[in-house]
Amino acid sequence: MSTRLFELMLWAAGKTVLLSAISIAIGLAIGLLVCAAKLSPKKLLSIPATVYVSLFRGVPLLVQLLLIYNLLPALGILVPSEVAAIAGLALCTAAYQAENLRGGFNSVPRGLIEAADMVGMSPWQQLRRIRAPIAFRLTLPALVNEMILILKASSLISVVGVIELTRMAQNLSASTFRPLLFYSVAGGIYLAICWLVAGGGSLAERLMRTGSSR
Amino acid sequence: MTKRIFLKAAFGLSLMLAAPLGFGSAAHAQDALERVKSAGTLSVGTETAFAPFDFIDETGAHVGLNVDLFEEIGKEMGVEIKWVTLPWDGVLPGLEAGQFDMVAGPATITKARVERYRFLTPVAEATVALLKQAGDDTIEKPEDIAGKLTGAGKATAQLAQLQAYGKTLPEPIETREYVGFNEAYADLAAGRIVAVANSLPNIAYVAEQQPDTFAVVLPPFGEKSYFGFIGSKRPEDQSLLDAVNEALLKIKADGRMGEMQKKWFGQSFDTPDEAPTPKV
Amino acid sequence: MSLDFSIVWQQFPQILSAFWNTIWIWIVATILAILLGFVVAALRRYGPLWLNLLLRLYVEVIRGTPFLIQLFLLYFGGPFIGLSLEPIPAGLLGMTVYGSAYFSEIFRAGFAAIPPGHIEAAECVGLSRGQIVRRILVPEMTMLVLPQIVNMAIILMKETAILSIITVPELTLVVGAIGSQQYAFVEAMTMLALFYWALVELSGWLGGLAEKKLSKFRFAH
Repeated sequence: MSTRLFELMLWAAGKTVLLSAISIAIGLAIGLLVCAAKLSPKKLLSIPATVYVSLFRGVPLLVQLLLIYNLLPALGILVPSEVAAIAGLALCTAAYQAENLRGGFNSVPRGLIEAADMVGMSPWQQLRRIRAPIAFRLTLPALVNEMILILKASSLISVVGVIELTRMAQNLSASTFRPLLFYSVAGGIYLAICWLVAGGGSLAERLMRTGSSR
Repeated sequence: MTKRIFLKAAFGLSLMLAAPLGFGSAAHAQDALERVKSAGTLSVGTETAFAPFDFIDETGAHVGLNVDLFEEIGKEMGVEIKWVTLPWDGVLPGLEAGQFDMVAGPATITKARVERYRFLTPVAEATVALLKQAGDDTIEKPEDIAGKLTGAGKATAQLAQLQAYGKTLPEPIETREYVGFNEAYADLAAGRIVAVANSLPNIAYVAEQQPDTFAVVLPPFGEKSYFGFIGSKRPEDQSLLDAVNEALLKIKADGRMGEMQKKWFGQSFDTPDEAPTPKV
Repeated sequence: MSLDFSIVWQQFPQILSAFWNTIWIWIVATILAILLGFVVAALRRYGPLWLNLLLRLYVEVIRGTPFLIQLFLLYFGGPFIGLSLEPIPAGLLGMTVYGSAYFSEIFRAGFAAIPPGHIEAAECVGLSRGQIVRRILVPEMTMLVLPQIVNMAIILMKETAILSIITVPELTLVVGAIGSQQYAFVEAMTMLALFYWALVELSGWLGGLAEKKLSKFRFAH
């Protein structure tokens, strides 16, 4: 493989990483909202949140992406390829992240919350000082896992017109007739990115653990 | 109780969906030519697995007859071309959804499509023929594919013609539908299928590039047909499509199109200015 | 805009056969992946160190790359090394390998969670290795890992949609093709979404039912 083609693959990998990162961040924000709605005692909030989670976890991402790209414009919302890709990935990961966060919030020990009540913390203070930090620490491994899942799932976004790592490999293996080479290189790049993310995740976990022991 | 809440939620959701609907149709009505000229970019949907019209060469560059032609169209109209590349089965839905101003492709001019889309002046011949493995002497003429496994690109006119042709043969054929023609060629080379149906200019190019692997089966089995760029039939799009068509006719009249056809197909085509009404 | 689903329904027989393909490919691939995943996890735990490392690499590579890339490599790269599989066998093999890596991790956690005392006790009363696996490990693990197994099986159900890309005539390919032919792409995609949603909800419900049944069965002993 010439240097030029390898550079193209790396450029495409950059796009994969960038779009995945944006999607994860937006997905986390939506996921928090959905999680809050789902934990709410008000059915008006919790039922739509439950439907949301079920729907976005129940439909293949491939189909979600095609629907977002082709259905939203019909409703008057024009979405360029990159936006459709981010929307698809973010809405999908939000459903999973909401469930992870819910698990995290539910695992905060009751005793801690009761103690906070006793010392007179307001519910907002409790959320900020106790429930959110603990839930975040508990869900960090799941978040890292979700990052890796979305990185890999982004291999599908070429169906809405984004040229990312998988699409580039597909294009170049067709034009050079060397699918084995280009798909292997793409696989290797995905692997390297995923390992980096996983490594970063365990580093963050270790740092947080030492932080809490102090 | 739950039911009432559900109804309320459904009502809220429908309001959310309906609001942009009204807004959107107003925004859509803007004249397409004005919009493109003021933005300075013409966005064109296409797929890049359709050599020699639109493909990625071995250096990774997007090249082909479409790229050359649209560069000239851009010059004539004073706009930049923005390419949006999708798998082919997503291109026409994308046009209908309004994701881009028009489609390169090019698309085979068929009866069903003419009813639904506006075709510009033809840019090449599209008559469908078969590509086989080089040296495969079990297929000497099109009807030899009877009872065998063949392939074509998903959602293409060539696939539809292949399936229709298969029904006329003494033994039915089986067809596989690929994301793009490149994958179909790869499967032909791997021997999983015996023939790929695609338009003559495409498969002639592929066979010329890899004479050791592929060969064209003559004569073409399909009806004589043409390739054209397409746009929607929405009234607000017509001014833009008129302008692009005018530019194309100019490029054709002064011989630039003929030169490009020679560059990519090794020959120029005698295409009519207006596509004849297709029979299929 | 108006959605007209009747256009898609006219092709009902075709859709039915595609639906059947999705279902059987999913079930067969899931069962094979669970078996292979169990073998991988068992070999990693009880096999020699070099085998453990090798299988760890297998698991990490499979889990670190997209399913689509694995399928492309297998289907389009395979013929270059003399492995030319038809779409359905390629899809089955691809899904089995892909799923096995995830299932093996579930089983690995399951093995780790079984109290070592149970196995020691079984050894004391003179059970053979095979008996320990059959009588102690498998039943105890089933309870521990069942929820995650169900979860992963559901993920695999959705991954079958990707098999359309290597021309397996499953639901996504066939409904998508009908949508394109009839110029009813959005209708086709909406219908697909509802199909998969129903399937996923149904299998989730069945999985939950199985968990309940099994836990009753366990406490009865």
